[in-house]
Amino acid sequence: MNDQPIEEFLRNNRPEVKDDPTFLLETQRRMREVEGIKNEVDRQRRHGHLALILTLAIGLVAGISVTVLAYLYPIDLSTVGDGKLDSIRVFLNTWKNYLLIPVAGGIIALTLLLTRSKDATARL
Amino acid sequence: MTQERFIGLVREEQEPLRRFLLALCSGNAALADDIAQDALVRAYVASGSFLGLAKFRTWLFRIAYNCFIDHCRKPHPEQVSLEGRVVLSIASDNAPDAAFRYQQLYGGLDKLPEKEKTAIILFYFEDRSIKEIASILQIPSGTVKYHLSSGRTHLKQLIRL
Repeated sequence: MNDQPIEEFLRNNRPEVKDDPTFLLETQRRMREVEGIKNEVDRQRRHGHLALILTLAIGLVAGISVTVLAYLYPIDLSTVGDGKLDSIRVFLNTWKNYLLIPVAGGIIALTLLLTRSKDATARL
Repeated sequence: MTQERFIGLVREEQEPLRRFLLALCSGNAALADDIAQDALVRAYVASGSFLGLAKFRTWLFRIAYNCFIDHCRKPHPEQVSLEGRVVLSIASDNAPDAAFRYQQLYGGLDKLPEKEKTAIILFYFEDRSIKEIASILQIPSGTVKYHLSSGRTHLKQLIRL
């Protein structure tokens, strides 16, 4: 079949785009907005990493310090506190089941908070 | 890629890109420009991953085409959908015969399957090679030729010349 007429029709009726000087300006505005969001997400991620590294470092230093001190200055626990440590131990042993409830609640709350802050970052 | 360099590259491509989307959106210039801007922002965000393996133009058109498809798949009652599209406005000079021709053209294009329509637009309005069209639509060259041939056949039935 002869396709020449339809080909000519298509080539002669190419859509015309009206010159719009605001098009690129609007594009640049949108790009700046996206750039701003990207920078904010990057900044928050950097802060998160920094906080994590600091917490790990502090935990490590504190743990090493306590271990070293415990080795350097060993204490016989039965000689200090006038039996107060024993009473604390007995208290914890008695109430451990009830004490687990606030601890578990705290862990759940922390997990929810972390998940929600992740969602907020994703929405950005 | 810096914003200045990206805008420099886009400045050369904006007219063909807008024309391509204008034809895909059946002459709805506002919608076409909105999709074009969305595509440009997506391209800018992804510009770090542009390795220069394809031409910048081909890469940009592929993103624009994907944006158009995403737009069509969004559930909205008005304007453009993949099937049964409505010609909303005719972007042409005000000459009645030109407006009629565009109405015929968009009306015909609207009834084509989406890949046929895109292949026809890229080949006849944007003078893209078969290879480039294959890269934009991510289909083999032979399939592009088939879409062009069947698109022409369908258009001949739809447009009275």
